Amino acid sequence: MSADSRAGASAGGSARTALRISLASLRTHRRRFAGTFSAVLLGVAFLTGTLVMGDTLRAGFDTLFGNATSGTDAVVRTEGVITTSDDAMGTRGPLRTAASLRAVRGTPGVAAAEPSIEGAGQLVGAGGQPVGGKGPPTTAGNWIHDKELNPYELARGRAPRASGEAVVNEGAAESGKLKIGDVTTLRTPDPVRVKIVGLATFGGESGMGKATFTGLTRADAEKYLMPEPGMAASIRVRAEDGTSQGQLAERLEAALPKGVEAVTGDEAAEENSENVSGQFLTLFTSMLLVFSGIALLVAVFSIHNTFAIVVAQRTRENALLRALGASRRQVLGTTLGEAAAVGAVASAVGLAAGIGMAAGLQALFPAIGFPFPEEVLVIKGLSLLLPLGAGLVVCLGSALLPAVRAGRTAPLAALRETAAEHSRVSRVRAAVGVVLGAAGAGLTVLGAASGSRSVTLTASGAVAVLAAFVVLGPVAAALAVRVAGRPVARLRGTVGALAQRNALRSPKRTAATAGALMIGVAVVTLFTVFASSLKAMMDETVSRNFAGDVAVSTPGFGAGGSGLSPRLAPAVQRLPEVDTALGLGKGVARVNGVGQELTVTDPAALPRVLHLGEVDGSLTGLGAHGMAVSRSEAADHGWRPGSTATLAFTDGTEERFTVRAVYETSELTGDYVITHRAWAPHRTQDTDSLLAVSFEDGVSQAAGEAAVERVAERYGEPDVQTREEYAQSSAAGIDMMLTLVYALLGLAVLIALLGIANTLTLAVYERTRELGLLRSVGQTRGQLRAMVRWESVLVAAFGTAGGLGLGAFLGWALVRATDSRGVSVFSLPPLQLTAVAMAGVLAGLLAGWRPARRAARLDVLRAVAA
Amino acid sequence: MSGTAAARVTAAVKVYGSGEVEVRALDEVTLGFETGRFTAIMGPSGSGKSTLMHCAAGLDTLTSGQAHIGGTELGSLSDKKLTVLRRERVGFVFQAFNLLPTLTVAENITLPQDLAGSRVDQEWTEALIDVVGLGDRLRHRPSELSGGQQQRVAVARALASRPEVVFADEPTGNLDSRSGEEVLGLLGRAVHEMGRTVVMVTHDPVAAAHADEVVFLADGRLSGRMPQPTAERVLDQLKSYDRAEAAR
Repeated sequence: MSADSRAGASAGGSARTALRISLASLRTHRRRFAGTFSAVLLGVAFLTGTLVMGDTLRAGFDTLFGNATSGTDAVVRTEGVITTSDDAMGTRGPLRTAASLRAVRGTPGVAAAEPSIEGAGQLVGAGGQPVGGKGPPTTAGNWIHDKELNPYELARGRAPRASGEAVVNEGAAESGKLKIGDVTTLRTPDPVRVKIVGLATFGGESGMGKATFTGLTRADAEKYLMPEPGMAASIRVRAEDGTSQGQLAERLEAALPKGVEAVTGDEAAEENSENVSGQFLTLFTSMLLVFSGIALLVAVFSIHNTFAIVVAQRTRENALLRALGASRRQVLGTTLGEAAAVGAVASAVGLAAGIGMAAGLQALFPAIGFPFPEEVLVIKGLSLLLPLGAGLVVCLGSALLPAVRAGRTAPLAALRETAAEHSRVSRVRAAVGVVLGAAGAGLTVLGAASGSRSVTLTASGAVAVLAAFVVLGPVAAALAVRVAGRPVARLRGTVGALAQRNALRSPKRTAATAGALMIGVAVVTLFTVFASSLKAMMDETVSRNFAGDVAVSTPGFGAGGSGLSPRLAPAVQRLPEVDTALGLGKGVARVNGVGQELTVTDPAALPRVLHLGEVDGSLTGLGAHGMAVSRSEAADHGWRPGSTATLAFTDGTEERFTVRAVYETSELTGDYVITHRAWAPHRTQDTDSLLAVSFEDGVSQAAGEAAVERVAERYGEPDVQTREEYAQSSAAGIDMMLTLVYALLGLAVLIALLGIANTLTLAVYERTRELGLLRSVGQTRGQLRAMVRWESVLVAAFGTAGGLGLGAFLGWALVRATDSRGVSVFSLPPLQLTAVAMAGVLAGLLAGWRPARRAARLDVLRAVAA
Repeated sequence: MSGTAAARVTAAVKVYGSGEVEVRALDEVTLGFETGRFTAIMGPSGSGKSTLMHCAAGLDTLTSGQAHIGGTELGSLSDKKLTVLRRERVGFVFQAFNLLPTLTVAENITLPQDLAGSRVDQEWTEALIDVVGLGDRLRHRPSELSGGQQQRVAVARALASRPEVVFADEPTGNLDSRSGEEVLGLLGRAVHEMGRTVVMVTHDPVAAAHADEVVFLADGRLSGRMPQPTAERVLDQLKSYDRAEAAR
């Protein structure tokens, strides 16, 4: 007490002493902190790289759009935009050009105005393969002749003048191996023959990212991309010198007809850029941030462990310091000082590494054919401060408890022979863990059982379960190592038994070491299980809902592709083999004020290709103002057949629709079904997203498929799939995501392995005399290496097993909790999980390699004499 | 004479460091340890007695000269062969930290044979346990034993594989006189009743008096031998070395 207050009196001096001792100790024991150093470095580097790359990409897109649309001072468009939960960007209705153009051209300060038609159009390459479409949009539009207003610039050739002529962006031409003079097909989605007469650039680059663009004459664009001639997506306006964008937009706003608005060019560019960077990049960077968070969490485990071990090993040293008059605070400060020094240096190196990583990626983008404006890296203050802070906080936070323990060292401990590596598992810990675990599991199950409305319940339960795993770790570690060690001892005799006993020495340490790997494996398992369940669910959805024999859909997912030609369904219907060929298109409307996706089809034929479950009311004769809705939507709104609702469309019109039928299953059908006749007045570009076909009785699968394929060939060769193929193709995107997630989780697992290796290195250091004794009484170097490696394997096996269990449970909870319709399927993929388990154990073997080698290289005599 | 030596060194030289900091820990020492005899090595600190033992036992290697266990020359052996030799033909008792804390008393005793994967001679082991008097402690961990008991377990471990020679490095250094007496008595019985060979490094004249012969080392050289030692004579001999040291 008095020592503390005296130390406080000369706080400066004591802090300096503590720091000097920390630095001296760091210099002496550099090796011990190698694991901590690398863990912080990796985490910080990943975080920095993510932030810098995100900002740089965002700035790059902003520049790209800014350059491309710098000549446009105002954009005139319809006001009505409808967003749905799946499409935050929204759908905007087309504009009737004539009236608006007249109003615009009559406004003072307008130098030029051109309609801009935008739609989906996928080019077919020289080899017959579609160009692009695996994510980035495939666009088509009219070639705007005013150079300032056209975001694309003619790089070679000439602009399209006659019908059937087209300009394509350089990037698309290159990947499709197309050149000026080639004649190819543009799917809008109806195949259109186009002759390439020119190549264009976007903002000085070969394209807008990987998006493709085909520019047609205005008449062609209206014909193929708009519901009727005389329409456009927007009008681009250029101001005369001396008229600002704001003034222009204001004047236009006053002159335009009702339902049409004007925004400045800057605003429009920002919106466009936001649609790309704001959505894609935000999603991408937040995903990366989540994974750097996981990596740092794993780092916390291994850093905490390192410091706990170092403090335990240094008990006598610290006790001596205390006996010689060091205050508690000084001893605590010494340990924290070490943590701060390691954290600061590792974070600084991590920052540099992260920036280097971002620079490397930036350089890599053009190499993989992703055009990107020549830009310097955008390094914001936050991108430096956040990772630096995270690195320091992780390091100091992890070392805090061990440091407090160091401060509490009794001076008398200097005189005692204390075993550093010894801990018992208390009953209190077991009891607390069991209660916490039971409560957590209970909450999770309760939350999962009651569906998506209680995600918070499930989440808090999951956190409690995680905490229980950490608390119960030492209890479980002792048990698990005892069980898992038995076959090892049998297999490897004394060496195995020794490895098992070593892992059992300090269950706390074993649990903490394995804890890092456990979290990594748990997240891997969670994603594996979730993805597998999603796939199983899709599979089941298709088999439960799809009553047809083949499905025709366009490849790719997301914004790419251009859908199916609406003329495909009638053509297939004419085949003698086919009973029903039904196209399902998509529309949007605001239903009672909320944006909803509509399915546009022939409702009467629907039950012949899709299972709808029990249907109340009638699906025939829906007419222009009837709709069918799913049971869950009907329940939400309190609808029965005969109820009415107001649908607002993108063209600004509002109509009253009557609910004619309520059906059960909605996974493939969607929640709202209307007829082509009802949609026709409000439609934009006509496409079907799915064609469901059922064959006549007696037609074999092979014969039917072949017949459909022959017709599909004429409409851009979309995939003709059996039910199984259709189910699998809907799940293809999941596998891609999973691969990415695995790659990102590799970092966390790497940090966990570094943690295991570090703990073993420390243990080897601590057991030097023991190892010397073993060697002197006849343990060969090989046996010693095997002993250390087996210990590592046992620790890793424990972590992996815990992670598998935790991940599978949380995966189950996630599947149940995100299920709003009660249709979820839980699936544990045995093959993948076995692979994860084997990888975990193998990783343990790998982690033990270096410590084992170092232990075997020990000089026997030195060890004995130590 | 050398034909009956369980272990011997010939012209043994051990040099640590080089140049100005060079230390000749052993300087042309030739010495044999006869089979069936209890030999003590004594000498002042830095005389090279521990180095001699470590080199003779195959724990350390000589700079020049030869070391033999029975008919086997140690310098030519690989690390692996040396390890196996230690395991099968040599026993060790150190001053402290002789036992693995994770193993029980019984497991510690049979550790060398277990590492070799060879069969444990039950009868011999039981006899040993009887002699060291720890039959009721076999399932205990070393931390549950007193220092003297731990050293007795170490002696049993050293004898378990019926080694040609047992090397003991200050085996009583950490013990009170009664426990030390017990351990020395055990080593004596091992030689005189079981026909083993024991080489012990010590600085304690009372401990040395248990040996059949004391070998004195000074400055890395053999400086004298004393058969049938008593504590008084050993002490006198050591004092004479101290006087010689002081005179120089």
